[in-house]
Amino acid sequence: MSTERAFATAAAALLAGATAAAQEIPPLPPPGIDLPRVVLVSVGGEIATSCETSLERVGCASGGETFAPETWTRDLPDLGLAARIATEDLRAFSRPDGSAAPEHWFELANRLRHLAEESAVDGVVVTHGAAGVADTAFFLNLVLPTRKPVVLVAAQRPWSAVSGDGPLNLYDAVRVAADPAAAGKGVLVVANQEVHAARDARRTNFYRMDGFGSVDLGPIGVADPDVVRFFTEPTRRHTHGSEFELAALPESLPAVEIVAAVPDAPGRLIDAAVAAGAKGLVVDGAAGLSGGQLEALRRARDQGIVVVATSATRGGRVPETAALRDSGIIPGDNLPPGKARTLLRLALTQTSDPAEIRRIFGEY
Amino acid sequence: MPGIRAAALAAFLLPAAAETQELPVVKLFTTGGTIQSLGRDRLKLAEYREGRIDGQTIVEAVPEASRLARIEVEAISAVSSTRMGAEQGVPLARQLAEELARPEVAGAIVTHGTTTLEETAYFLHLTVRTTKPIVVIGSMRPWTAVSRDGPLNFLGAVRTVLTPEAAGKGVLVLLNDTIHSARFVTKRHTYHIETFVSPDVGPLGFADADRVVLYRSPVTRHTADTEFDLDGIEELPQVDVVYGYQEASRAPIDALVKEGARGIVLADGSPAYRNAVLEAQAAGVVVVQGSRKGSGRVVLSDRTAARSEITADNLHPQKARILLRLALTRTTDARELQRIFNEY
Repeated sequence: MSTERAFATAAAALLAGATAAAQEIPPLPPPGIDLPRVVLVSVGGEIATSCETSLERVGCASGGETFAPETWTRDLPDLGLAARIATEDLRAFSRPDGSAAPEHWFELANRLRHLAEESAVDGVVVTHGAAGVADTAFFLNLVLPTRKPVVLVAAQRPWSAVSGDGPLNLYDAVRVAADPAAAGKGVLVVANQEVHAARDARRTNFYRMDGFGSVDLGPIGVADPDVVRFFTEPTRRHTHGSEFELAALPESLPAVEIVAAVPDAPGRLIDAAVAAGAKGLVVDGAAGLSGGQLEALRRARDQGIVVVATSATRGGRVPETAALRDSGIIPGDNLPPGKARTLLRLALTQTSDPAEIRRIFGEY
Repeated sequence: MPGIRAAALAAFLLPAAAETQELPVVKLFTTGGTIQSLGRDRLKLAEYREGRIDGQTIVEAVPEASRLARIEVEAISAVSSTRMGAEQGVPLARQLAEELARPEVAGAIVTHGTTTLEETAYFLHLTVRTTKPIVVIGSMRPWTAVSRDGPLNFLGAVRTVLTPEAAGKGVLVLLNDTIHSARFVTKRHTYHIETFVSPDVGPLGFADADRVVLYRSPVTRHTADTEFDLDGIEELPQVDVVYGYQEASRAPIDALVKEGARGIVLADGSPAYRNAVLEAQAAGVVVVQGSRKGSGRVVLSDRTAARSEITADNLHPQKARILLRLALTRTTDARELQRIFNEY
């Protein structure tokens, strides 16, 4: 901590004393102080969006535009207190809501892998739309073979909003990516002064400041005003411990569809998904499946389609019950349906053996 | 179908004599509390006498546990948790270390009253040098109550002790199927079943019906990695907590200094504390700034650093007290004490 204090003080003096240098990102590091080097990658998102007025808080009413990453370094030179920053603009990978488009997930992962392999890079921050940040983070958590901090950050409010959360979230994300204690803990999601593990991070609210949480569990650390502090670390497999090899994965992942259990549904959506070529199904709320849905699932299983159940309660694991075992449905642990789908798609690249997929859902 | 189920259940329940010899040993240390209490009738949920049920009664009430492990029971005390302290905690820590050193012992369970359960659990977390699981349990409802939680908490603890991933995670606290780290857990309700929570971080895992899962591992220092040593310690230094509120008087601080306290943990403060703290520090009393808010760290500011105040991180005052007592057996240096509060 004393080192952190020392270079924060020295860098603050530098910013105060040399206004020209203050605009430079990276700043000239004070003599004898090596700031960590962080690459700031923009996929866009609310955090990279300016609206016409500062009162537009839930997206822009009209004409909102994303900006290039240089705007952050211009608006928030304080980033230079935490790290030497290089920027990279990958907004081309994003959907209109600022989340990375799944068809670009591999390109994004490959680029991040390349950056993490650079010896001149200590950590990577990726800005992202709030809506999909937890899903992209989980995918990266499963395929990025790195121990270096990779931190995804989003904002609930546009960058231009009054009392926007973007600037502090971005500053905190850079501090976390620059912190050696963040290494080896998998992909992280930083928002609202909390550090979440990618597996458990979820968006829990559409527009309020406490918009992210780790359901069932909690954040693994905090980005407090004085220090970044980790309290726990995830034990499930991730990043450097993952069996999913980015380089060996096929260009398009096996199709997996999500079906909600509905007590009086006829099961046609399940048949349609299978007819359309789904190799796996995620059933959300298995306890509430209708007779028609159960029959459709049986037909699907007979064709070798793998079925995973998630809990519609959005809290708690799906326990391995006798009923579930008898019906050949694999419990999706406590993953929400979107994340269970991502894990199942990756698992299906390795195996379609239900026992193996059951193991994978217990280990990741 | 019912026949098959009954046969399966019987096979599960009846230990085969030969198998019992092979089973791992789980030590059950009992200290008392609601889990060992008797109420006048089964609807007396909040009126009962603690410590009236012994460990063997718990073991016998849950025969499934004895299918999994050979449970060895040892009574430490039979009191409510408000009577617990170093007097019981120090010998308990020593006995745990000794028993867990036996190769056939897989881990240990400690029963405890719930009000101060987190204090004893954190004390053991800081003092017992082991990588074997120690699970502290209690119950919210008396042993005699309808829908009592004690038996399942006990069974969950046995299953957790026998879960390989539970090793090396420090002292665990288990109630209501939820596994917490002793470092973070606190009691948040007076009597509900869902009472123990870990503010800021959440639980480490769950003892679910099908499986014990541990999603998290604490990264603060504990058990096998502790620097605290009870060897040769006769008595722990006196440390007390002073609660801050509007218009609070400095009298409690003055009285504690006079009484010989070596440390004081403040749960927030009061303007009147300012001079009292300075005088206490001048008299050699260590003052740690904590918070009464229940979550969040006390942030180290330039001002607190300049005053050589020590901050309690996100430890609740009652746990900061435990850490300060142990820390004062090693040092009184403010910088060293702050390091200890940052690391444990």
